[in-house]
Amino acid sequence: MDTGREDFGIAIRSAFLKKGTQQRFSLFALLILSVFLMFIEKIETKPLNVLRSIIKDGIYRSSTIVSAPAKGYKSLHSTAKSHFFLYEKNEKLTKEIKELKNIKYKNDFLVLENTQLRKLIDENASSLADLINARVMIDKQSPYLNSFIINSGSNKKIKNGMAVTHGKNFIGRIVDVNFFTSRVLLVSDLNSKIPVLVEPSGAQAILSGHNDKELTLDFLPKNHQVKNGDKVYTSGKEGIFSPGIPIGKVKMKLKKANVSLFSDLKQVTFINIDVGVKK
Amino acid sequence: MSIFFKNINFRILSLVPLLLLFFITLTGNAVININFISINILYVLVYFWALKLPESLGNGYIFLGGIITDVIFGLPIGTNPFTLLIIASVASYVRNVTVRITLINDWISFLPTLIIANFFYFIILYLSDYQIDYIYLLKNSIFTFIFYPILWVFFSITLRLIK
Repeated sequence: MDTGREDFGIAIRSAFLKKGTQQRFSLFALLILSVFLMFIEKIETKPLNVLRSIIKDGIYRSSTIVSAPAKGYKSLHSTAKSHFFLYEKNEKLTKEIKELKNIKYKNDFLVLENTQLRKLIDENASSLADLINARVMIDKQSPYLNSFIINSGSNKKIKNGMAVTHGKNFIGRIVDVNFFTSRVLLVSDLNSKIPVLVEPSGAQAILSGHNDKELTLDFLPKNHQVKNGDKVYTSGKEGIFSPGIPIGKVKMKLKKANVSLFSDLKQVTFINIDVGVKK
Repeated sequence: MSIFFKNINFRILSLVPLLLLFFITLTGNAVININFISINILYVLVYFWALKLPESLGNGYIFLGGIITDVIFGLPIGTNPFTLLIIASVASYVRNVTVRITLINDWISFLPTLIIANFFYFIILYLSDYQIDYIYLLKNSIFTFIFYPILWVFFSITLRLIK
């Protein structure tokens, strides 16, 4: 029995402490270093933040370079594919343009009417948001964090918590800012909780992600009037996001209010960052 | 002349595990998701090479690969290095206590390795206030275990070519 225990001890010691041939570090030393890194991850000081920022920027750039051939092949494939359906696409788009033109005329009239009405109630009708454009560098979805990396950071005055939109639709917020890059936590992530407003009922709720296409509306009032097709907007209640940014529409499933996003998160290449409210 | 080419060939091939490690981590393909299936190929890669030919995948490189994965996936730095080094440690222990290595032996010993590694992974993310999809973690572990033999065959062929 003692011999067995001794053998076990020797094997464990050998596995953790002994450096193998051509190994510079023992596993035990590196394990301790990993734990140390996890501890200093919690410490927020300027030199450490700068160091983290440099390391992260470097890794993101290297990742973009290494992933370039795969991305190139992907875009080549999609270009070739779209060429096959050029004629059909052209016909469909011509039809769509006609329809959109009709809607535009109607819209112009509504905008004019809206501006006049706003003037009547002394409301500032100009756009409130100040937007910065950025490109998605790495869109590899982590199994535990639905996020992507963009090519703008503190050099463009981006800060944590800012709203990120795809076109005009809300898709997430900034959670990590480096000098040249930032991380966007997508609204679909499990860790994402956004205060929203559901129109036309005007109900306030929290939009929660589940690492899935569909999100849910939590903390709705008891006798809410939310129904299929209702639109979901940011409420601006937390004071960071501008209010009224469209997010998605409601899909009721067994009395549960789900939300499908207006933007397809897998098709995002360029994004806008709402850097604040101009007044 | 043929010895010279053989040496070059050997050197290039012996770099395959290292190149694979950095390619997988830098491109963010440590975890492959295909529809319902989710496989952590980084775990398999580290386990296999730490078990069969530890000198081809240095501990320092495993540590570095873990840090790159953490940065790319947006996890607290230190999470993946710790988990991968745990895997390497268990593999090293298995190598010390096993006399005859077969696919079945490897496969069976990979199960406790996976459980230990994911246990630490879960604890670290929990302590770092990350919400975790438990079902996903379980699914990932199961499929990583199921697909181990396929990757084992692929890596074994590479190993044979190196040797």
